[in-house]
Amino acid sequence: MDGHGDGQSRWCLSQVKGAVDDDVAEADIISAVEFNHSGELLATGDRGGRIVIFQQEQENKSLPQCRAEYNVYSTFQSHEPEFDYLKSLEIEEKINKIRWLPQKNAAHFLLSTNDKTIKLWKISERDKRPEGYNLKEEDGRYRHPSSLTTLRVPVFQPMDLMVEASPRRVYANAHTYHINSISVNSDNETYLSADDLRVNLWHLDYTDRSFNIVDIKPANMEELTEVITASEFHPLQCNTFVYGSSKGSVRLCDMRASALCDQHSKLFEEPEDPSTRSFFSEIISSISDVKFSHSGRYMMTRDYLTLKIWDLHMESHPVETYQVHGYLRSKLCSLYENDCIFDKFECCWRGDDSEVMTGSYNNFFRMFEREGQRDVTLEASWENGSPGCPLKSWRVSTGSRRKRNEIGVDCLDFSRKILYTSWHPQENIVALATVNNLYLFQEKLN
Amino acid sequence: MDVEAKRIMALSISKLYSLRTQRGGLRLHRSLLLSMTMRAARDIYHTAQLLRDEEEEQVVPCAPEEPMEVTKDPPQTVTPIEFVANPQEAKDALEEEDKENRCAPERHSRKRRVKTALEPDFLPLKKAKMDTDEDKQHLQAEVLRNSNGNSCRQAETLTAFPVNRAIVAC
Repeated sequence: MDGHGDGQSRWCLSQVKGAVDDDVAEADIISAVEFNHSGELLATGDRGGRIVIFQQEQENKSLPQCRAEYNVYSTFQSHEPEFDYLKSLEIEEKINKIRWLPQKNAAHFLLSTNDKTIKLWKISERDKRPEGYNLKEEDGRYRHPSSLTTLRVPVFQPMDLMVEASPRRVYANAHTYHINSISVNSDNETYLSADDLRVNLWHLDYTDRSFNIVDIKPANMEELTEVITASEFHPLQCNTFVYGSSKGSVRLCDMRASALCDQHSKLFEEPEDPSTRSFFSEIISSISDVKFSHSGRYMMTRDYLTLKIWDLHMESHPVETYQVHGYLRSKLCSLYENDCIFDKFECCWRGDDSEVMTGSYNNFFRMFEREGQRDVTLEASWENGSPGCPLKSWRVSTGSRRKRNEIGVDCLDFSRKILYTSWHPQENIVALATVNNLYLFQEKLN
Repeated sequence: MDVEAKRIMALSISKLYSLRTQRGGLRLHRSLLLSMTMRAARDIYHTAQLLRDEEEEQVVPCAPEEPMEVTKDPPQTVTPIEFVANPQEAKDALEEEDKENRCAPERHSRKRRVKTALEPDFLPLKKAKMDTDEDKQHLQAEVLRNSNGNSCRQAETLTAFPVNRAIVAC
């Protein structure tokens, strides 16, 4: 079902971040969005290799009518462009993925990755500094020993809050192909990184070694038929992970079965409908994202046109299939021409797994209620909505007649797309990135 | 259908070429998808070509045909089955194809010149052939890399992704 457009939705625009003009620099294009485990922090990565972390203000949280805002907490350069001299190749600094570690102490840790290198960042606050050194002046210059006549104990004095981001680990040189996924294990000690052909397992404390657990590279590269497109650890079982492929299948692997998980434990694959076969069937069946539900019972996959929810106990077909923008099926050739058919959309679960969300074109995003089988199409636009006002839902029609809040397929703007989305783990706040901006929406509280 | 196939083939080839110059190195996933789409389009296109040749052959009196073929209403059904049955053969034949189609199957030898004349004009065959060695080396240089000491698996020699072969095939 494609958007019932029954007027107003429960969602309203909360904030928009980033420049509001149309002219956006390539480096500023957002390429990753991720809430941390408490939802207090929201990290975004961009093509310029920077990470911006927003923090939810705590003051107004108690007031039911007004949700706290997210403001910039820290900005730092995570990755720089590099040059591989051996291959004469430039390595892009674009941030592909950000994953937060569960918080263990006052500091926050996250993993960020570009095409080749993963980094562990520590984000910590400093609001005190020691003053009253004996050997140094306040500005840091050393005092002359002859001027020392007394001794004092340095004390901590309050200072303006400073948020520091420091790279604690750099995990490099383990991927020949481009990294597409990282996922932290529930054991909080290991994580996986996946590129087109391999999945590696790391221990967070060791950067000089990683264990290869999946390798689908054929002996003869000419026989290559599929690549790994996404990978994730199970949220609760530390031995289980999945990886999606360009052929539309997802393999679940159990690390207890074998050290090298080339043989899958489960294969989730839905037989193709022969009536829909076209030149582009291969491309549109490629998995762009795979996400476990918070419960660990289900798994969601995104391909170009659909969202599928799988019960981990049943491999033959998904338990739920949602058409994200089925009206594009007849436009695949044009989408191939303008490269949009290769867009990789992410998807995410609501905190209680009752709803799922993904992005689309024309700055539309789609939300699907699993229980009530209802779905809604909303638009991320600062022009068409003001903060606090409930969003109107949209319909995309293929016919020529237009009702209010309806748009024709041919009028969709394919340069405006929402690829990256994240749902607050506890509250009904969603963050999504258009090309230019970061949008925050929250559910209206009645 | 074959017009569409030809267009998609041309599109795929130009996209594959432009992939080479993109920042960040050869994208394996994209290359694979483009390559597959291009091959699918090429197969359809060549099937259509063979069908057309079949139809033309029907008009021209030729060597005595088997009774089966004469009585069959749509004679072209024979060709695609044969074609599909030997995709590898056809693929090999196509990959060694040059402008004069020296490697074309014997039964089409009569049609060689006609086929040449109908050869798609968008395909830079000569250019591709000249670039083949360079491209192959370049790709091999891109893909070939000493596997690090980090992985527990034995380091393997990487061969070039067969993008260049696919391009030459057309």
